Amino acid sequence: MSDELDEIQAIFFEECAEGLVTAEQGLSAMQAGDVSAEVIAGVFRAVHSIKGGAGAFGHADLTAFAHKFENVLDEVRGGKIPPSPGVVKVMLSAFDILTDHVESAKGLAPRPADEAALAALEQVLANKGADDGAPAASAPAPAAPVVAEAPAAPAAEEADEYGFVPMAVSLDDFDAPAEAPAAADAAWIVTFKPSRAALANAGEPLLIIRELETLGAEIVAVDTETVPPLRDLDPEDAYFTWTLRVPGEIAEGDINDCFDFVAPDSLVQVRRDEAPAPAAAPVVEAPAADTGADEFGFVPVSAPIEDFAAEMQRVVETIAAASPPIGSVETPSIAPKAGGDAAQQTIRVDLGKLDLLLNLVGELVIRNSILADRLSPADRQRVELPELARLTRQIQDNVMSLRAQPIKQAFSRVPRMLRDLSVETGKTINLETYGETTEVDKGVIEKIGDPLTHMIRNAADHGLESAEERIAAGKDPAGTIKLSAEQRGARIFVRVQDNGRGINRERVKAKAIEKGIISADAVLSNEEIDQLICAPGFSTAETISNISGRGVGMDVVRSNVEALGGRVEIHSVPGEGTTFTMILPLTLAILDGMIVRLAGQRFVLPLAHVLETVQPEPGQVKRTSPDSEVIDMRGEYVPVKRATEIFGLNDDRAVEDSLVVIVESEAHGKVGLVVDTIDDRREVVIKSLDQNLHPIRGLGGATILGDGSIALILDIEALVASTNRYTPKGMAA
Amino acid sequence: MTTTNDNAGTDRKIVTFSLAQQTFGIDMRALIEIREWDEPTPLPNVPGFIKGVTNLRGNVIPVVGLAERLGWEPSAIHARSCVLVVNIAGKQAGFLVDEVNDIVAIGETEIQPAPEVETIEPSVIAGLVRIATRQKDGTRDEKGTMVLLLDLDALSLTKHLDLAA
Repeated sequence: MSDELDEIQAIFFEECAEGLVTAEQGLSAMQAGDVSAEVIAGVFRAVHSIKGGAGAFGHADLTAFAHKFENVLDEVRGGKIPPSPGVVKVMLSAFDILTDHVESAKGLAPRPADEAALAALEQVLANKGADDGAPAASAPAPAAPVVAEAPAAPAAEEADEYGFVPMAVSLDDFDAPAEAPAAADAAWIVTFKPSRAALANAGEPLLIIRELETLGAEIVAVDTETVPPLRDLDPEDAYFTWTLRVPGEIAEGDINDCFDFVAPDSLVQVRRDEAPAPAAAPVVEAPAADTGADEFGFVPVSAPIEDFAAEMQRVVETIAAASPPIGSVETPSIAPKAGGDAAQQTIRVDLGKLDLLLNLVGELVIRNSILADRLSPADRQRVELPELARLTRQIQDNVMSLRAQPIKQAFSRVPRMLRDLSVETGKTINLETYGETTEVDKGVIEKIGDPLTHMIRNAADHGLESAEERIAAGKDPAGTIKLSAEQRGARIFVRVQDNGRGINRERVKAKAIEKGIISADAVLSNEEIDQLICAPGFSTAETISNISGRGVGMDVVRSNVEALGGRVEIHSVPGEGTTFTMILPLTLAILDGMIVRLAGQRFVLPLAHVLETVQPEPGQVKRTSPDSEVIDMRGEYVPVKRATEIFGLNDDRAVEDSLVVIVESEAHGKVGLVVDTIDDRREVVIKSLDQNLHPIRGLGGATILGDGSIALILDIEALVASTNRYTPKGMAA
Repeated sequence: MTTTNDNAGTDRKIVTFSLAQQTFGIDMRALIEIREWDEPTPLPNVPGFIKGVTNLRGNVIPVVGLAERLGWEPSAIHARSCVLVVNIAGKQAGFLVDEVNDIVAIGETEIQPAPEVETIEPSVIAGLVRIATRQKDGTRDEKGTMVLLLDLDALSLTKHLDLAA
């Protein structure tokens, strides 16, 4: 049972995560000036659902905070508070706290200090957003307690030094109202009979009654008349009817809120207790009055269903008629909602299942090409085989697209991070993002989170100058960080670009010498100095800040990205800023490869890198030093590397008996690789070596060939880099 | 503690195998399957005891020369050589052993801790246990055999990475 609850709770947290993403996107849009009703309603719905779920699982802090937030959103939605930049700013801060509350509810973080944010929300509510630029919540200021001691001044007063404005707080909220009932309205009588559907949807009545009790409700009657004899009892049906008395001063809306998540066919009535005497009488009112409840107290609900059915009928007819009468009377009433939901319609699928599917499709592709190989050329041309190949390809593309996610998911945490960083560093930082919709394999998205965090922190902390420095340098006091993603061929480029001071190469070099990373007399190019930032144990921060400066950040970036088969490029212009570029593979799954042999063993060379192959003439390959060779390619001398040497394979084959594959590498241009022979060209499914082992330098993974044997996939970039005496961990040599 | 083999509680089953004239055992729960030896695809830039990778129903798994890994002379491949495919912390690996002997049930209480011996790394021997062995003629050898129980987690191929992280 508790497992089940955990499972449901896990779903709730998943929904929270989605809700938070939606809310943040909406708030960001509002910040950017899009304050349309749809956007606001989207944010409202997201926060509302979080509140509802949180209440059901008893996360009181989260519920309380979300509730306050929701109140403000509701007012904004209703047009009572204008969504001015100041209000949006308060809401963004509130959103950050809400995120922390969700983490706290998961047990991953301590309860956040939300007083400042709550006070800011209160203030917005009290002022109806009139006090625009109120900076109250933008800083997680010492949480000044909001007390009601100030004389209740209804209108906005001048903000005090903390930016707080005194406001009226009803003391009734704090103390149980001793004399209130006398003066207040008659108590509410709430009748609640959950439906079978409510139980089926895990609408636990106890939780709702508890929630009502927090409002001061008392159960005055439970109608058990409808419970059938045990032999007829259906354990999945609902039989009880509860009658509760709620203090009269509670707003009707608050009572109704408790029933937000109850299936709509449950009986819920809220009315004033006009005649206090017969409170306990079973209440069967309005709907039942004309239709009559059956013996179990069920109220027929045929009417709405018929309405709905009729509506559906009309919609179906409209579609069947294949004419689009968008302007007709009924359609608009459902169209916007249906349309909006349709865009978001998703189902949750275990990632493991997707991976399995992807693997199977990969195998299918391979079998397909093997089948093609086995057939005679004449059979190969028959229509069935190309058709099968085309279908397989389509399935493959579709399955791949299932795993592809917009990179927005990885970018989404950046705005929050920058807001925090902005507070911590005292720098004003603008964020510009481009290419958020670029689709990348989910595996890649998951793994670039950490590197991206480090890069952003690095840019905010080291890259950007303080406002004073920027003004002195004649720059806009607000720094800008540009985050962009784009696809180029089979690679994804993710850039973090700041317009800060650029890398101080003198200092970097001095630091590297001091830390023993390079020798004192090393002569390095500017690019090599920039690369030192990624060397292990390197950090130039004068003081170790809690943002960056422990000297692990950029090292982590490089190793993470390399583990993904990518690399990091650094480009810096002193005084103008620094750009970090992560170059990542688009997918981790399938590769167009050339099967080659090295010392008899089969390897896969990614075809994307191959320019041409040559059978060297005698004398075409020449030594330029005892351990380096070049090949004369029509007058152009291209360095030649023997992969067999890099891998320590025995190979005494003369170069004239071998083939030279000219490959193009991102980092080092053209390089010739010596291989024994080329066996084949085919698509291969990449199996990562770190699934059961660990990444191996020089290999991009392994694949299973048609005969069941394994061929290792060459990582061209790493191989070529080793031509240039690249040591695996930075410049330690 | 007057427990005998019969009522000591058969807490777990172990697979016993021979390697370098010793008898070793691993927990049955970690065993995925036993395969015949098939020359794996060699890997570059890995320690010598990793003999390569092989295809286990579409999964690429490393094959480890267990004898070398434990510091014994490398196993000679012969007709009864086989590979124990095991699961170590979610990762699969194959261990080359000389011969698989038996599956025996042992009680948790029968396991003695491995004596402290000087080794270059934390012990991969989780404990010692004496089992009665079956003779070729089916009779039990009452003297029994000492089995070295292996600590599979200590044999993880990615342990150094986990420690670095």
